[in-house]
Amino acid sequence: MSYQRTTQFSSRRASNWSRNQNTTRFTSNVKLGPVTHTVLVALMITVLGLIYLTQATRATSYDYQAQEIDTKIADLSTRQADLEIENARLTALENVKNSSVAKSMTKPASTNYVSE
Amino acid sequence: MQLDLAKGSRPRTLAILVLIIMAVFVVRLFYLQIIRNDFYMSAAKQEQQRQFVLPAARGEIYAMDAGKPVKIVMNETVYTVFADPKIIKESQPVIDVIQRIAGGNARANLDKLLAKKESRYQILATKVSLKQAEMIKDENLSGVGFQRETQRVYPEGQLAAQALGFVDFEKKGQYGIEGAQNERLTGKDGLLQTVADVRDVPLTIGKDNIHTPADNGDNIVMTIDRNIQSHAESALAEGMKRSGATNGSVMVMDPQTGKVLAMANLPTYDPSKYGQVLDAAAFNNATISAPFEPGSDIKTLTLAIGLDKGVVEPDSTYNNTDFIKVEDRTISNATKGQTGTITYQRALNYSLNTGFVTIAQKLGNGSSITRGARDTMYDYFHNKFGLGVLTDIELAGEAQGTIVPPTDQDGGAVRYSNMSFGQGMDVTMVQVCAAFSTIINGGTYYSPTIVEGVMSDDGSKIEVAPAKESRQNVISSSASDKVRAMIHEARSTFYSSNDTAGYYTGGKTGTSQTLRDGKYIDSETVGTYLGFGGNDSSSGGPKYVIMVQVSGKNMNLTGSVDALPIFTDISNWTLDYMKLQPKG
Repeated sequence: MSYQRTTQFSSRRASNWSRNQNTTRFTSNVKLGPVTHTVLVALMITVLGLIYLTQATRATSYDYQAQEIDTKIADLSTRQADLEIENARLTALENVKNSSVAKSMTKPASTNYVSE
Repeated sequence: MQLDLAKGSRPRTLAILVLIIMAVFVVRLFYLQIIRNDFYMSAAKQEQQRQFVLPAARGEIYAMDAGKPVKIVMNETVYTVFADPKIIKESQPVIDVIQRIAGGNARANLDKLLAKKESRYQILATKVSLKQAEMIKDENLSGVGFQRETQRVYPEGQLAAQALGFVDFEKKGQYGIEGAQNERLTGKDGLLQTVADVRDVPLTIGKDNIHTPADNGDNIVMTIDRNIQSHAESALAEGMKRSGATNGSVMVMDPQTGKVLAMANLPTYDPSKYGQVLDAAAFNNATISAPFEPGSDIKTLTLAIGLDKGVVEPDSTYNNTDFIKVEDRTISNATKGQTGTITYQRALNYSLNTGFVTIAQKLGNGSSITRGARDTMYDYFHNKFGLGVLTDIELAGEAQGTIVPPTDQDGGAVRYSNMSFGQGMDVTMVQVCAAFSTIINGGTYYSPTIVEGVMSDDGSKIEVAPAKESRQNVISSSASDKVRAMIHEARSTFYSSNDTAGYYTGGKTGTSQTLRDGKYIDSETVGTYLGFGGNDSSSGGPKYVIMVQVSGKNMNLTGSVDALPIFTDISNWTLDYMKLQPKG
């Protein structure tokens, strides 16, 4: 069996620390009373409630954005329809017939037909 | 940590207090959420939920323009400008702005309207365009609001008014295609049921939301070609001006498909101003809704029957004495002098009634119009050619007309002798055009149609309408060839100089007496002309059928003088428009 050294050193204590983890007992100097606990629980509930409210409001804010976009689409569609109508009016036969271009046209003296 | 819950201690008191409060909450919530659940749920729904109607857009209407569809009826968004007089403190600036921008669309007496402070809603202007509405909005007038609505617009003005019809103030289609296809054009409104905020903005929260999108109306593409329609209308107007006729109609049909290319009626109206029409008769499309006695145009059909049944040939002859007796009646020719043994071609050229009565007789025993002859004529006229039968063209107000059957006590030999030259029957122009198309196209009857198909919402493609009923071999193709040649000859004999050279046209004049109080009167006649044009059968056959009708109260109008020039005008123009190549 060959033996290879690792490049990284790890102490024996570190690799086996689980064996020694309870060797020292930590005692906090800060002591929380029952009132503080109740207040803390209440605060936690409040925070959770706020988180819920923020999420719900965020969904609603998307609705407003969607509404704005819908309104914009409707406005643009109206504008497009308006332009189409304007175009249709300008290219209406009566307008074309009465245009200066049409009025200056003359009948051809002779017509030659080319077979397609 | 150890809770100190010793009797009388603060934590114990607090715990008890919290427990009591919690218990109160639990009991109250149980009552509200469980016991009173239904009540509060419905109250909340009522408060928060809104139902919005998603209006379906009325379908637009297209016509053809040399094979390409173009919109001729569109939807325009317009605004009604209203005010809350209670909010408006100074009326004059509002009046100035409305009058300056809305112009003719502003209501009169704006000052009086705005002075009604007890009212919360006064209309200041109607049918204001988007541009005008935006200009008014830019003025930031407090107490002024806008209501959006749509209205029909007709960029081509009066073009094809009777074929189109109009949409009334209740948004319901009346007359024409608007009336007949109202349901298809209207579509189906959608529904949005959702929780909404105080400004009625729909929100996605809630579980009972319903969103059924609106089903917009069909965008119908008509077979009418706007250029042919426009020329037909102007040619009719000019022709009526020449003759002094007060009423006139023109129909142009593709004989190879039954598609209507134009239907013009005068007097006409502007569909966008239908409310200003004084005589509602202008709304009627006479080409489909006014049955009349077409007169000698029908001789072409009688001839086709004779040729199809083999009782006459183009060079067959009969003895013309300028009158013929049928039972106790004597029927005379309008044109006299072509007496002796003459061909049926000559009878057609000179429109001799006697010739066509003899064809009816030949369908019987040769000397009288027997029941068998009448049955044959009825079968052709009514069952095969569709005279006196609704064509089911997709327009409102089609009239059926009448072909009296031989079984009727009025369906005797005298009536059928009259029917052989187009009297004693009530038919519409569309029926006659469809029947005439049948006899010149090789013998196929195509049900007349005015709907090409439905345009997709983005205007990119047409879903072609399913083909309507057609009947093949109504007459044999050889009979059709013969009758077409005879009709061509009838026109060429007298009127070929009017036609553009190199094309194959044919037609027949018609002048019919009118019935008043059940009696024919001579002081009023209706002039008609029925013909076709295009190439001969070796180059594709006829491309169009045109029927012209002109009339006027107490006016003697004739087919040859008053209707024929209108046909010639439209025919020559259509030959150029269709880019048909002349022969020779």
